[in-house]
Amino acid sequence: MLAGAAAIARRTEAAAGYAGESVAGNYILARPENIIYSTCLQCHVDCQIKAKTWDGVLAKLCGNPYSPQNYLPHLAYDTAPAAAAAADGKLCAKGQAGIQTYSDPYRLRRVLKRAGPRGSDKWKSIPFDQFIDEVVRGGALFSESGDKRHYPGFEEVIAVRDPAISRQLADDAARVGRGEMTLGAFKAAHKAHLDKLVDPEHPDLGLKNNQFVFDAGRIEHGRKELMKRFTKGTLGSVNCFEHTSICEQSHHIAYSQLSGHATHHMKPDLANARFVIFWGTGAFTANFGLVPMAEKVTTGKVDRGMKTCVVDPRLSNDAAKADWWLPVRPGTDAVLAMGFIRWMLENKRYDASYLSNSNKAAAALGGEPTWTNATHLVKIEDGQGRRLLRASEVTVDGPNGRRPLGGPDEVVVMVAGSPVAVNPEDESSPVKGDLFVSTTLSRHEVKSALQLVREKAMAFSLEEVGKTTGVSPELIERMALEFTSHGKRAAVELYRGPVQHTDGYYAGTAIILLNLLIGNPDHKGGIVKGGGHWHESGGKPGSVYDLKAHPNAMKVFGPPITREKAHYEDFTLFRENGYPAARPWYPFSGNVYQEVIPSFVQGYPYHGKILFLHKGTPVLSTPAGNTLIELLKDPDKVPLFIACDIIVGETSMYADYILPDLTYLERWGTPHVTPDVLTKTSKVRQPVARPLTEEVEVDGELMPISLEAFMIALAKKMGLSGFGREAFGPGTSFHRPEDFFLKAIANIAFGDKKGETVPDASVEELKQFKAARRHLPPSVFDEDRWKKAVKPAEWPKLVYVLNRGGRFAPPSTAYEGELAHKKLGKMWHIFVQQVAERKSSITGRYFSGVPVAPGQRDCKGKALARDTRYPFTLITYKEPFGGHSRTISNYWGNLGLVDTNYILVNAADAKKRGLRKGDVVRLVSASNPQGRVDLGNGSVVQITGAVRPVEGLAPGTVAVSGHFGHWAYGSRDITVDGHLVRGEKRRAAGLNPNTAMAVDPNLEDVCLTDPIGASASFFDTSVDLVPV
Amino acid sequence: MSSQEDRSTPESGGIFASRRSFLKRALAGATVGSSALLHARGAMATIGAGEKAGSTAEPASIAPSPEAFAEGNALERMRVDLHRAMQKPVADRRWGMVIDLRKCINCRACTVSCVAENALPPGVVYRPVMSEEIGSFPNVRMKFLPRPCMQCENPPCVPPCPVGATYKRPDGVVVVDYEQCIGCRYCISSCPYGARSFDFSEFHEEHAPRITDYETRPNYEYGREHKRVPENRTASPMGNARKCHFCLHRVHAGILPGCVTTCLGGATSFGDLNDPDSLVSRLSASEHVTRLKSELGTSPKVYYLT
Repeated sequence: MLAGAAAIARRTEAAAGYAGESVAGNYILARPENIIYSTCLQCHVDCQIKAKTWDGVLAKLCGNPYSPQNYLPHLAYDTAPAAAAAADGKLCAKGQAGIQTYSDPYRLRRVLKRAGPRGSDKWKSIPFDQFIDEVVRGGALFSESGDKRHYPGFEEVIAVRDPAISRQLADDAARVGRGEMTLGAFKAAHKAHLDKLVDPEHPDLGLKNNQFVFDAGRIEHGRKELMKRFTKGTLGSVNCFEHTSICEQSHHIAYSQLSGHATHHMKPDLANARFVIFWGTGAFTANFGLVPMAEKVTTGKVDRGMKTCVVDPRLSNDAAKADWWLPVRPGTDAVLAMGFIRWMLENKRYDASYLSNSNKAAAALGGEPTWTNATHLVKIEDGQGRRLLRASEVTVDGPNGRRPLGGPDEVVVMVAGSPVAVNPEDESSPVKGDLFVSTTLSRHEVKSALQLVREKAMAFSLEEVGKTTGVSPELIERMALEFTSHGKRAAVELYRGPVQHTDGYYAGTAIILLNLLIGNPDHKGGIVKGGGHWHESGGKPGSVYDLKAHPNAMKVFGPPITREKAHYEDFTLFRENGYPAARPWYPFSGNVYQEVIPSFVQGYPYHGKILFLHKGTPVLSTPAGNTLIELLKDPDKVPLFIACDIIVGETSMYADYILPDLTYLERWGTPHVTPDVLTKTSKVRQPVARPLTEEVEVDGELMPISLEAFMIALAKKMGLSGFGREAFGPGTSFHRPEDFFLKAIANIAFGDKKGETVPDASVEELKQFKAARRHLPPSVFDEDRWKKAVKPAEWPKLVYVLNRGGRFAPPSTAYEGELAHKKLGKMWHIFVQQVAERKSSITGRYFSGVPVAPGQRDCKGKALARDTRYPFTLITYKEPFGGHSRTISNYWGNLGLVDTNYILVNAADAKKRGLRKGDVVRLVSASNPQGRVDLGNGSVVQITGAVRPVEGLAPGTVAVSGHFGHWAYGSRDITVDGHLVRGEKRRAAGLNPNTAMAVDPNLEDVCLTDPIGASASFFDTSVDLVPV
Repeated sequence: MSSQEDRSTPESGGIFASRRSFLKRALAGATVGSSALLHARGAMATIGAGEKAGSTAEPASIAPSPEAFAEGNALERMRVDLHRAMQKPVADRRWGMVIDLRKCINCRACTVSCVAENALPPGVVYRPVMSEEIGSFPNVRMKFLPRPCMQCENPPCVPPCPVGATYKRPDGVVVVDYEQCIGCRYCISSCPYGARSFDFSEFHEEHAPRITDYETRPNYEYGREHKRVPENRTASPMGNARKCHFCLHRVHAGILPGCVTTCLGGATSFGDLNDPDSLVSRLSASEHVTRLKSELGTSPKVYYLT
């Protein structure tokens, strides 16, 4: 005790105090010249970050206080960066560990070429130029390892390089597809070019160029536009994809179809909502995302009396904090939503006034920015609503006998029992129609859209709903009552949980419908579309560059290899084969990730030749993605496989070449903001850390190897359009990444409207800008060169934006009275004709235009049968510190906070099965009965894990998180240039639940999929746990 | 091939990336800001250790910012609180923390922020978040509890220290003088909260092909630069007891502690308990406030709201 007291006395005077030197500027990591603002990409929320460097070393990542996602409310945009240096914004555990994604000791620096069969784990490093040369030329590329096989190069696959020829062929080919031109006539007209078609007998399938496929896992705005530019305009292929269908695509498609394609994503206005149902998602773990959303919910609940309900089979962090937890049985979300709808309609707990607005004028009169087609009459065919009744199809008595009620552009509603023609967009004559109509008009059996919904909902009694979903009728009633007790300040939020099922679209539309029934869109506390962004690609009155311009772009045609956004019936294959198609077509969806490689290999509708995989790992991240291994490892199936990756990953390990990429901390981007943010926000991603890939020369320009370097090098090598001189038109060039990105950021600085520019950076700010980049090599940052990418007058404004990591409208612009400032302002399609009038390409049966609850089915429409050998349903979940496939290198987060993942089992189930905490079991299913993954190279991964019995999980369910179970990504030994690089075994901890997931029994090479929204089914697999 | 051998390859042009080679290149070829590199270190006043750092003559590049730049932002308010406190003599400040458990969402952003801010090695965690499941299906809940150092008024960790390396500062923060600490770990076993841990001189990338730059960058605990390199595993704070210090090096620079600024649920508040106008003073006076193991008489300055 004496020693301690002495110590205190000794040091009291030493605590110097605050005056003088102790301000932010004296802490190295808080000096503006050691700070660059950029944008995260540890997940798609794309938080804005403040990157702090120490002596050129990336030392700390925080949130950017200028951004509404990371500081609540955010700093005034004109705050000087020197002052903002002392304000750190929020960033999640995953984001802060991003330094370790960048700095991963296993990152690739040079191009790798395989030095053995695919998947052999043997590589040699080669010069970038050699790589470009080889993939362009093709040939016997692996003859060194005794493989005499011919590998196709870009020279061979990019058969058409003259845009005039592509244009010539495109229109006639589509005519052949639709049956408006005969094959003979086409062949006669284009005989010189038939050899350039992927299938001359089916010209509507497009050019051979379509055999190049750009398959991107995560790609975002900025790079996304480049991907399309490169694949379509430059290479003439229709095939570029993202991974959306393994994320939550059916939710987007549900919003898109219901809103008439006005939006694909809305979010509750959490800052004002009084009650929110989080349906298969939350605000505390993932979604879009925990950083911007969490505080609105916690402060809402504690300081504002907000209540929340979480629908989730697992007691998530959100559910733990919720007022109510509804542990729904996986895959019964649509049924549960039907229960809510039924109760609301039966008890008249809906906004009848909102729903009865039949056109824009009526909505405006009621102060509503949006309206619905609830009252519009729908013609019934074979008992189903098929198409809207047109006013021209109804005759009424007129002064000169019968006359049509109105024109073909008008729909019909009943007003107090009499038909009225309505133009839904009419702004001058308000019409309020009858909500529930079932009648016959001019011999047409018709029902109002809301009547159709009611009939579907009434098919389930609340008791049946309770039995099916595991949620008691009393609780459903209680929640529906709560939901309808706050006016428009209640909302339902959905994301991945309810839609990654084969009925995902229907479940999604049923859940969104709850919002429409209380008329909450665009209202404070309702669902909102978000503040949007300034348009970086140009095309607005204020824009200074048109980055969509692409002189001499190719015209692409033919269906994407995934058959997405294409109607089967518009192609020759349909007329020859009818129903069922060989594989499903996805006319309503896009980015059908799980279908890319299987379709490429099966050759339906045509074979692929060059697979370019970028920042994606379908083998790991797709349900049953392990079935892809035997496809990818065979060059006869995937003739040339190039992966663009930062590391040797679970999928890139099978590539012929790995092109090393830069991480998000070394490169550019212009990602968009989540709808959770109500103020206009344009984000900038820019290099903050030294590039770790090899510096190479591309046509005289030094740059680190990256995706952009590859695109520029390839286009120039082949003399193609879209890159290089005059890439965007006269006076422009695209020789380096910043030639594109700085122009995009200049567009942000100048805004959408004329005169909407940001201020010039001050002299001090210009100095800080330069000093903050002193650690970047000239191949990345060269001030003079950067200045030349834009016009001199634009430079100080560009710096102003770069110094703040983007452009952010003030918090005061979020609302306009009781409404969101930025409104959807469109009609909602409670009856979706676009869907109702189309048939499944497999069954030939019509889809439903209103939500239904068909249960989980395979692609032939057959209900998935319960298999008693597999008594549990498998679900997955995320931890707030891990991503799906790219965070196992994060020693602080993913690996630092937990050692492994577990197989969560309901405690009572575990007891019944005699399973105790820590027991190691094998996860098996009908699709993977042995619970193993054969890597095709002599090694086998066992799908085993430790059991953790928990109370917070619906009985009959097992849950496994998605951050572990790697077998590459630095976890396995590989050989490079004859040197052994040892893997870190702890990166291989745990298990990957995707490997147990069900394949479609009819296709066998792809997971179960929603035929409308195309979401991959993650939560419909029956599994068992076998003690090891 | 051993991992040692692996480590030697990248510098000589191996396939795995090395930032050192880029640094060299940047230094050799850079005309941009090469002089700026020179003033990038060693410019801070030390905190509590009784000595000045090398170059305090470096002029401050910014002025203290007393006003909040965003209305209604709790972090901005606390930043202003902090600034006010720093105008007072050190003995008049009493730093404290209030954690609203209703707002903790178990995201662990605080844990990682602290590890990153203080460049903490494996096994050293100043601010874990504990979680516990309570009840049985379907009536089940989870409780989350962030646990920094309690900064006790009567710290049980101080008396056992045989060399006086750990002590309570006049502003109430319990600190470790790394230069005095002999690594005996008596303090670790005497803390009833388990808030102290031992630095075993390890690196996160110990078993990877290389230990990369961020692991060897210095931290600035107590306002001093502590460089951590694998070649010298005896340099402090390696081999020392380590604990949360409320990020005094940030606080003295006018910045809130790392766990506070990044708390995603807005659960963590920090400030001067002696200032009746500070947010923490107001919150700590709530009737829902509690402290951990208060029966021990430690009198923590970390308060929990439940």
